[in-house]
Amino acid sequence: MQWIPEYRDDVPRVERFNALARVTHWSHTVTFLLCLFTGLALFLRADWLAAIFGGFRGAGLVHRIAAVVMTVTILTAMVVGIKGVIAWIKDLLRFGLNDIGFLMKFPLEFLGFKVKIPPQTRFNGGEKGNSIVTPTMVFLLMISGWIIWWPSIWWPGLVRASYWIHDLAMIFATVMVCMHGYLGSFHPGSGESFWGMWKGTVRADWAQHHHTIWYEETYGDKAKAEAE
Amino acid sequence: MARQMTNLFDSSKCTACRGCFTACKDSNQMPALFDRSYFGGPGNGTYDSKDGDTDAETLTMIRFNETEDPVDGVRWNFLKWQCMHCNDPICVKVCPKSAYTKLDWGATFHDEAKCIGCQYCTTACPFGIPKYRKRTDTITKCTLCYERVAEGLSPACARTCAPGAIKFGYRDELLEEARERVKFLRVNGFPRATIYGETELGSGTNKLYILTDTPDKFGLPVKPQIEGNTIFWQNWVQPYFGWLIPIALGASAISFVTSRVIGNKNKAMEGHAEGGHE
Repeated sequence: MQWIPEYRDDVPRVERFNALARVTHWSHTVTFLLCLFTGLALFLRADWLAAIFGGFRGAGLVHRIAAVVMTVTILTAMVVGIKGVIAWIKDLLRFGLNDIGFLMKFPLEFLGFKVKIPPQTRFNGGEKGNSIVTPTMVFLLMISGWIIWWPSIWWPGLVRASYWIHDLAMIFATVMVCMHGYLGSFHPGSGESFWGMWKGTVRADWAQHHHTIWYEETYGDKAKAEAE
Repeated sequence: MARQMTNLFDSSKCTACRGCFTACKDSNQMPALFDRSYFGGPGNGTYDSKDGDTDAETLTMIRFNETEDPVDGVRWNFLKWQCMHCNDPICVKVCPKSAYTKLDWGATFHDEAKCIGCQYCTTACPFGIPKYRKRTDTITKCTLCYERVAEGLSPACARTCAPGAIKFGYRDELLEEARERVKFLRVNGFPRATIYGETELGSGTNKLYILTDTPDKFGLPVKPQIEGNTIFWQNWVQPYFGWLIPIALGASAISFVTSRVIGNKNKAMEGHAEGGHE
């Protein structure tokens, strides 16, 4: 059984994510998971989970350190890589019929059936959904989290609202992360996706097939001609 | 359930000597803290020793409520302020460490050894009673002197009260007594005298008050309630929404299996294989 496709450098490859995007993605993975498991200890009231971090106080400390690192890395990456963020948002705004077509056929593709999917931009319909939901939830988590950290300096109603916002945003973000983690790695239909974020490049033929519009605009003959 | 015991505070007898405040500090070994109002402000503009609220080192205090009325003139309403020991306490529900327990005789007990200082209880409490103590990173609040009651003694505040404004005993007996007292007060110059704590928050609070005027004249919430934000969080988000996570994990696991089974079938039928895609 194959977990993820083999990385091949003997075939033409194209860049999908630059170094900044990859560093931000994986550092966020670490801080998010640390925050998630330390937070789940309290959410699930799980003593065994807290024990891994040296008890609830230890978990609280790890949660806060990870939260600070998360906030700092995300804000820094957004400032340094503002161009990339804008390009990302612009791609999300291209949500169209092809994305609706993707989302409608996706459940079958998810289970492993072969389906014909309309041409996609840099981010397909599902990735667009993830790109909207997860960052929104993470921002809600960060804002409500910083409020919860110092409950006495805020208006009490805001603190009370922050508790359920923090919990709900955690749940939705984690649901997306569960799907994203699987779809970005072990799902056979996702193919090269993992290498795009790990090594930065994907096979050109895969990119052309899975993200046709993006490939043609960025690496296609027309784009090449324009560059020259 | 054991017969409920509690304190009855009679505001018509309180002289604001603050003996309860001192006895409480003594019994619970809490340091004296000087705050702004000792030095004439800028406090809350009253003679309160604590700016009108308890703090992490002060589990009870006497509130000075000044009211002005065209008929009665200026009155000082004294109120002993501390944890109300609600009969259905929200702090017990929100506490993720189960540090709070409702003792069978009525006290809402907070175990500092279990507390991790998350302060969920502070914002959930309709009276804002649990206070965060930085030096121990825990919450403190009135314990109704459970350790004294266990030994057959009355709480420190009740024991020390010189004018007999605080009385400790069985709640049903005290309630009867309060009803009689309110009847007496109503025909003797306090027509708005009332009992507080019998039905508040639906199931009432363990603590009982005889007030010589309406609750608002004592700075008490007339209709205390658990905030909607807290109810939504505790009754909906905490128990139900979390199930979305195992559903997402389960869906991924199912897809992991089915997509490989179907993929292998396709491979066998079409006889071509290249990576996981196409």
